[in-house]
Amino acid sequence: MSSIVHKGGLCCSSVLYPQNEPEMELAVELIIYGILMGLVFALIALGLSLIFGVMNIVNFAHGEFLMVGMYIAFVLASYLHLDPLFSLPVAALAGYLLGMMSYYLLIHHILRGPMVAQLFGTFGLMLFLRYLAMFIFTPDVRTIRQGILVGKTLSFAWMTFDISKIMAAGLSFLLFALVYIMINRTKLGRALRATSLDAEAARYMGIDTKKMNALAWGIGGATVAISGALLAHFYYVTPTVGMLFTLIAFATVALGGFGSVSGAFLAGIIIGLIMVLSGQFVSELKFTFIYLAFFLTVVFRPRGLFGW
Amino acid sequence: MKIRKIAMLVFLIFLSLMIINPAQSFAQKEIKIGVILPLSGSLAPIGKSLKEGAELAAEIVNSKHPDLKISIAKWEGIPNLGGAKLKLIFADHRADPGWGADQAKRLIEDEKVIGLLGCYNSAVTKTASVEAERAGLPFINPDSTSPALTKRDMKWFWRVTPHETWFTADLFNFLDGLTKGKAGIKGISKKNLEPLAVAVENSEWGAASLAEIEKFAKERGWKIAEGIKYPKDAADLTSETRRMITSKAPTFLFASYLSDAVLFFKTMKEMKASPSLIWGQDAGFVEADFYKTLGADVNGVLTRDLFSAEMGKAKPVAGKLNEMYKKMTGYDFSGSSARDFVGVQVWAHALNEAKSTDPKALQAALNKLHIPAKELIMPWKGVKFGSPFPGDTNQNELGSGVINQYQGYPDGKLHIVYPFEFATSKMIYPFPGYK
Repeated sequence: MSSIVHKGGLCCSSVLYPQNEPEMELAVELIIYGILMGLVFALIALGLSLIFGVMNIVNFAHGEFLMVGMYIAFVLASYLHLDPLFSLPVAALAGYLLGMMSYYLLIHHILRGPMVAQLFGTFGLMLFLRYLAMFIFTPDVRTIRQGILVGKTLSFAWMTFDISKIMAAGLSFLLFALVYIMINRTKLGRALRATSLDAEAARYMGIDTKKMNALAWGIGGATVAISGALLAHFYYVTPTVGMLFTLIAFATVALGGFGSVSGAFLAGIIIGLIMVLSGQFVSELKFTFIYLAFFLTVVFRPRGLFGW
Repeated sequence: MKIRKIAMLVFLIFLSLMIINPAQSFAQKEIKIGVILPLSGSLAPIGKSLKEGAELAAEIVNSKHPDLKISIAKWEGIPNLGGAKLKLIFADHRADPGWGADQAKRLIEDEKVIGLLGCYNSAVTKTASVEAERAGLPFINPDSTSPALTKRDMKWFWRVTPHETWFTADLFNFLDGLTKGKAGIKGISKKNLEPLAVAVENSEWGAASLAEIEKFAKERGWKIAEGIKYPKDAADLTSETRRMITSKAPTFLFASYLSDAVLFFKTMKEMKASPSLIWGQDAGFVEADFYKTLGADVNGVLTRDLFSAEMGKAKPVAGKLNEMYKKMTGYDFSGSSARDFVGVQVWAHALNEAKSTDPKALQAALNKLHIPAKELIMPWKGVKFGSPFPGDTNQNELGSGVINQYQGYPDGKLHIVYPFEFATSKMIYPFPGYK
């Protein structure tokens, strides 16, 4: 009498998607979606990787820095009626200052304590920022509804993409290139790397390691706040939004290698692809695949793909 | 000496009156009820509205509101307990079943509540109600809809809301009705409505929704092209949305909470999806933030619900209470917050019938309770616990759902389109789409 035909999912059919949609076209489309999202994930993870690389500290408040960037875009767009694109430099500056302040007011002090104090310190910062946002903005879910690129799409051949996602991916690429050049081609970058490799030796060589640590927090804060402002173009904003992206960022950093810029870049794309492609076949398991990649990396290559 | 004797006599008379009428001993006392809700995390907005619904009901029970034509508005406390006031003790379960059970235990052991109310998320209701069952205290559930909850043969658990089986039956009655031209518009050919594409969050509630839809589809002869269970609080729903679009299904059905529902709609818009009909299984689809966030993009979206601000047209008391709620919160009652209002109302009636806070007396009162339709803001025939579907225990037999449609947003209203006889507006069909 009836027919229930699942064209996907774990259980049933060998038909993965309808036959009237050419498989190759769908695969290409999904791969592009995966790369676009992956570049955003990579940018979110970049700051986390940098901070860990330089100081061996896991910043649990990383997702809340992202949330701050998202709210900056939301407030500028919704209350000051500025295009959310203007929020990018504001978010960068605010993220940089937030990172610096976090270092000087909190991290610098808890470094003297045991490892567990460092862990709980950033955890406390996470809760503080989250509940402060909840107090100021209430737990309501919000989105940015107006902006030059908000809601605009670009159709190409058989595919349609959100222009703000393309912009986010493009800017992520650009920022990665800038950070990579800064770290590998400048004196400042060499000082940062020296601090991350051996802080004591770096200090003997005259490098102000305290300043380098603060710089890592500043850059980390700026990049994640920018990614928040970009994400707010097409994602909802709420005080708890950071949690989910923090977990993805942890998996990205572990996969790419702690402290590695190029590792975060590649791992972000891999995670984006895993998320989109696995979602096409077994949606309920897509996070399982991501954390499986994370788990396998930790077990078989603890330093990650490009870790130092 | 004589004075002492008189005083002793007065005291003894007073004491005997207390024994004869135990209600006096509750005079001006407070009755503590534990309310466990999702008050933080991604469900915090809905948790806040549920809390406000419960608070309004308690406020109406505790003080006089002569303009409202329902019993609790005249009581000023629980009459048979000497006017004792209800005191709601709220706890946040963070949408975590383990934490929810801990909160239930804490409320029972530390706060000494006489019973519990909650928890919205079916998975949390499941674990928290086990604590009440162990303690032998009543747990009234106004707002969780997983059918499994009342199929556990529990003695201390009563569910006020109809469950998914009802709502899914309503959905298929509605779809069948559309093919017969019952929605105020011309009959829609079944081939323009099927197959169905279904996306549900991968949780107890979502999986139960999908299972019910599959069961009814099989029974009623509707084809399903996609049945997607996605991880909730998703970072990205691109592939899931793509799957629904490529299935060519004209009807999209969702069981999602707010954040995922918003993300689905943003992704559908990005992909220029144009299904003919979109129906949501309550939850995120009835949240104020759903239409506030998506604005005009919600026009034409259908949602299973239990309440509409339009209900005031059929039930003046519902309109009046909704006005009070809106004055207090700034937004209308949702089906969820209205049910939590009713949950407290059920507690009040049960206490009044039991004439005691003794668990056994409350259990007996709840088992016999009958609240007539005129007392309720919901479009129900009343509240009476029984076994309306096979295996159900202590499930309200007199509940029912509605299907609403967003029309005229951002400044519009939710209009009732089903039951067809209570429709307050002509249905928008097809869904305008995002092309």
